[in-house]
Amino acid sequence: MQAQLTALLAQAAAELPALTTRPAFEAAKARYVGPHGALTALMKQMGALPKDQKPLVGKLINETKTQLQTLLDAALARLAAAEIAAQLGPAVDTTLPSPDAAPGTRHPLTLVRDELASILRKAGFVIADGPEVETEYYCFDALNTPADHPARDAQDTFYLPADVRFGNVAKKSSGERYLLRTHTSSVQIRTMLKGPPPIRIIAPGRVYRRDTVDATHSANFHQIEGLYVDKNVTVRDLKALLDYIFASLLGADTKVRFRPHYFGYTEPSFEVDLSARHLPKVNKEWVEICGCGMVDPLVFSGVGYDPDVWSGYAFGIGLERLAMMLYGIDDIRYFYQNDLRFLKQFA
Amino acid sequence: MKISLNWLNEYVSLAGHSADEIARAITFLGFEVEGIHRSGAPALTNVVVGEVLTREKHPNADKLSVCTVALGSILGVKTIVCGAQNYKVGDRVPVALPGAVLPGNFTIKQSAIRGQSSDGMMCSAKELGISEDASGLLILAGRPELGAPINSVLPPGDTVFDIEITPNRPDCLGHLGVARELGAWFKQDLAYPAVHFVPEHASPTPRPDLLRSLLVDARDDCPLYTATVITGVKIAPSPDWLQQRLLAVGLRPINNVVDVGNYVMLEYNQPVHAFDARKLVGQTIIVRHAHHGETITTLDGKAHALTSPMLVIADAEKPVVIAGLMGGLDSGVSADTTDLVLEVAHFRPQSVRATSKRLALTSDSSYRYERGVDRHLLGEAMHRCIDLLLATAGGTVAGPTLKVGGDVPWEREITVTPAFINERLGFALPADEMLAALERLELTTVRTDPTPDRGQAWTFSIPSWRDDLDRPIDLVEEVLRLHGSDKIPAAPVTAPALLADDAPIVAFNRRVTDLLVGQGFHECITYTLRSEKEVSTWATPSENFVGTGSDQTKIHAEGSSPKSDNPKSKIASASDALALANPFLADQSHLRPSLIAGLLETLKLNQARGATASRLFETGRIFLAHDGQTWECAAAAFLICDNEKDRAWLHRAPADFYSTKRLTETLATAAGIDLARQAVTPAPTAAHGWQAGHAATAGELQHRGWLAQFGLVDLTLVQSLGLEGKIHAGLFAILPEKLAASATRRRYADFSLMPAALRDLALVVDASTPAADVQKILAKHARAATGPAFALESVNVFDVYAGTGLPDGKKSLAFTFTFRAPDRTLTDDEVNAAFTKIQAAITADGKISVRA
Repeated sequence: MQAQLTALLAQAAAELPALTTRPAFEAAKARYVGPHGALTALMKQMGALPKDQKPLVGKLINETKTQLQTLLDAALARLAAAEIAAQLGPAVDTTLPSPDAAPGTRHPLTLVRDELASILRKAGFVIADGPEVETEYYCFDALNTPADHPARDAQDTFYLPADVRFGNVAKKSSGERYLLRTHTSSVQIRTMLKGPPPIRIIAPGRVYRRDTVDATHSANFHQIEGLYVDKNVTVRDLKALLDYIFASLLGADTKVRFRPHYFGYTEPSFEVDLSARHLPKVNKEWVEICGCGMVDPLVFSGVGYDPDVWSGYAFGIGLERLAMMLYGIDDIRYFYQNDLRFLKQFA
Repeated sequence: MKISLNWLNEYVSLAGHSADEIARAITFLGFEVEGIHRSGAPALTNVVVGEVLTREKHPNADKLSVCTVALGSILGVKTIVCGAQNYKVGDRVPVALPGAVLPGNFTIKQSAIRGQSSDGMMCSAKELGISEDASGLLILAGRPELGAPINSVLPPGDTVFDIEITPNRPDCLGHLGVARELGAWFKQDLAYPAVHFVPEHASPTPRPDLLRSLLVDARDDCPLYTATVITGVKIAPSPDWLQQRLLAVGLRPINNVVDVGNYVMLEYNQPVHAFDARKLVGQTIIVRHAHHGETITTLDGKAHALTSPMLVIADAEKPVVIAGLMGGLDSGVSADTTDLVLEVAHFRPQSVRATSKRLALTSDSSYRYERGVDRHLLGEAMHRCIDLLLATAGGTVAGPTLKVGGDVPWEREITVTPAFINERLGFALPADEMLAALERLELTTVRTDPTPDRGQAWTFSIPSWRDDLDRPIDLVEEVLRLHGSDKIPAAPVTAPALLADDAPIVAFNRRVTDLLVGQGFHECITYTLRSEKEVSTWATPSENFVGTGSDQTKIHAEGSSPKSDNPKSKIASASDALALANPFLADQSHLRPSLIAGLLETLKLNQARGATASRLFETGRIFLAHDGQTWECAAAAFLICDNEKDRAWLHRAPADFYSTKRLTETLATAAGIDLARQAVTPAPTAAHGWQAGHAATAGELQHRGWLAQFGLVDLTLVQSLGLEGKIHAGLFAILPEKLAASATRRRYADFSLMPAALRDLALVVDASTPAADVQKILAKHARAATGPAFALESVNVFDVYAGTGLPDGKKSLAFTFTFRAPDRTLTDDEVNAAFTKIQAAITADGKISVRA
């Protein structure tokens, strides 16, 4: 009996580690420890043993059973591990790059626009929108630009043919022509005509000038217009806002200065310079960055606001110019070529 | 405009201020300084006049000479080694002595040159910083005194500011105007030119043999014309001082008469013209509109064909001057001119501008007339001109000045309170500072009145040259200018909340950008203006591309019948409707009808430069022509170019039509539109830009306000662009006004917690049958079959097959049905019964069979 048990263990120890499939394992398990297996058969012989041998043999059988179970568990664990290994395949080379597309990038003009919008949102400005195809009224007349002003020349402004009709850009009067807006200031007028003050908006968007394309000029470019209308708005408020904008963009030590200038739709009007020593690729003490001023009373009367009650300011910032300054880009055409090696630098 | 500092100094004393201080003042007065140019000798010490006494060849150098130079009784005689060749013994030249510092920080020392000691240096004009002439020593004319400091001998230097005069300030197109501004800034008095001539000085005898009549036919365009006859002038070069003034500001001196005219123009901003009186046929001046067919050759030698209503100054026969622009070659002053007609006139700015544009001709005169000349100073300018002419060319004023048109009296007053100015500024300036500033600008206080609640109110009389000042706010600007707009005090931003929100398009663009950037797309910005060829490719006539046939019928039935509305419209095609009236470049002549063309261009640029670009997108405006109207749309588009030849260690499945469908659905979602629930139709073969059979369209502009296009870009087009690979793209466009924020809040709907029952069904259908059509019918039958007892939750295609085992022209579509009841587990029997009914219904007409 003892020899039989020893032989059974030896056989199991030889057979079980060589098993490669679960069915083979199950079959082997049945042969050793199943109801019709070898161990069960030996246990059944116990009854025929003399009484004094029973405790010893019983102990032997139990030990054999335990040892068999250990062998079986090991075999099963080995099989499970082999199955998982088969599922996994070889280990990955963690240093290989992912072939999937990396996240895309926002265009630098979008980044600068969004940054400005978020700076201004803190000051309560929301974004307004207007069409790129405009009429003479919104682009010029309402902004106090006289009919014979050079800016309105066909030499400087793109016009559409007289017989083109726009389904969703209404004319103020039937005689006026459609044109491509030369500034986002037209959104001021559309916004003011839509409702009463107070108003605090910015209007980012694309504008067009009939101009030769070179490193600093482009047939279309982008501006952000700002308009604030309320009671008792002052020149000092305007200066405070521009100080805030450029300190937020460029750091608290950025200096902003106003120079008097002329725009038909603001009075007084200013050009705004930034202290530029810390900007890349600028070798000047001051660099011009935007135009601004107090909304001209004529503009208010034109949209039906009482200029004795309401006052306000407006400003316009060239996005390309600002982005070129902030990033040190020296050719405006890069913005429109979209070379991926350019686009990926700003994300 | 160039402004000479020496010239300014005639009217206002700026001697105590450096050029940089003056430039800063000009800047803060509101005129951009574009350049500062210094001319003439800088201040030099230890540079004196010397005379070459002897000149011997240097013993050790072929090209050098050793000279003795006399420097007067105090400095004596020096020995100087010199390399120049252009001088001779007896010439007087500038000599820089040890200790002199020449421009470029070049210090002169006692030195030895090739063994020969030298006590200084004889100088060229360039070495003194006078001009670029380095060809030899500056030989001093007029034998100036030996030992005299060189600055006392050389003409004084000048500083010229190149400044940009804003269009509201034509008065500053003359030196007098700029001087007035600087006088106000530096608190210096302005000295007007002394005008001596008065009409009584003229000879009482008119000269009808020279000028018999003056007629102004076009009084609107020429409200005031004056002409003075001056006889016996002698044409000669101008005196030096006058030549220097003109040269400093970039004008070439011609002769005394022409130069005086230019001088007065640059002084008073009043153009002046002088005729040779003997060349006026008929002794007549007529200011009239040109007759069609008339011609004139102007002083610059160019011939111009004239038409009405160009304004001309004519004699009895022909135009002799284009009014306000330029004189004719024939009537001008020449060397033998002895008698002049001097014209000082006012022309309507719009008339001068229109003629200038028509003829593509501009001049210093037209520039000033267009921007505005103060007609109230016209008489003073005439007298100043006469003074200078008599002084430089001699002659006699013959008879009274002829004049057509009257003076319109100038009178303008503005009343303002210091309180108002301070309110608008947002900070307080002392009233006396304001008053002083305004008076320096020659605004005169007419009266001061008390107001009930605002303190004193000043009433100012505005000078005639300040037409730009009209309202109290204009005086706020004047006060601030002279206070210094760089001194606006800092303040916190005050921003009471307005509780407004961004325009809806902002959210659309942001969502689209977030979605696409998250999926690996790079944002591009391309030009709106495209070539006609490109636009005709992408601006497929909307009837052919937008919506289905039935939509089209609807549009025509309900539409505003634009063709009868606008019978004379010349707009024959979609690309015509997008053309600019005045394109600048031939390849930027049209508005873009799609964003895809710009993205293809971007792709091409990147491929050509060897930069890998496979996923690009843009958001922006596009323009769609539809049924006689053009619509400005907000749009977003993407492009995918998965080049299978790209080298990669692991290849992913390339994008296909269905990738673009999903992405386009995502774009539509950003606008609140569920594209998956919309009819999608194949792009018709007439649609250029897209590959027939591999692209689709959904939506429609006129009634739904949006449209989508997606799929494979036309392979022929791609090849013709020189691009590689299959390019998939998608575009979603919507009228901005349709993007209004949706206000409806979603409501929760109950969902069943009971298990679902699934059934699969494979059908054999015609190969051309759209899957969506079969799905729609199946859903209808399923709802009928289940009745109210339970519900069809979904029916979806899960397999599409054609080929072996199926007849030609057929395909198999396999659907999976999900049934569920809200309150119980479904039994096999009830589901099977419904499923059998569905199969019977779908196969009833014999066109569709259940696949065995």
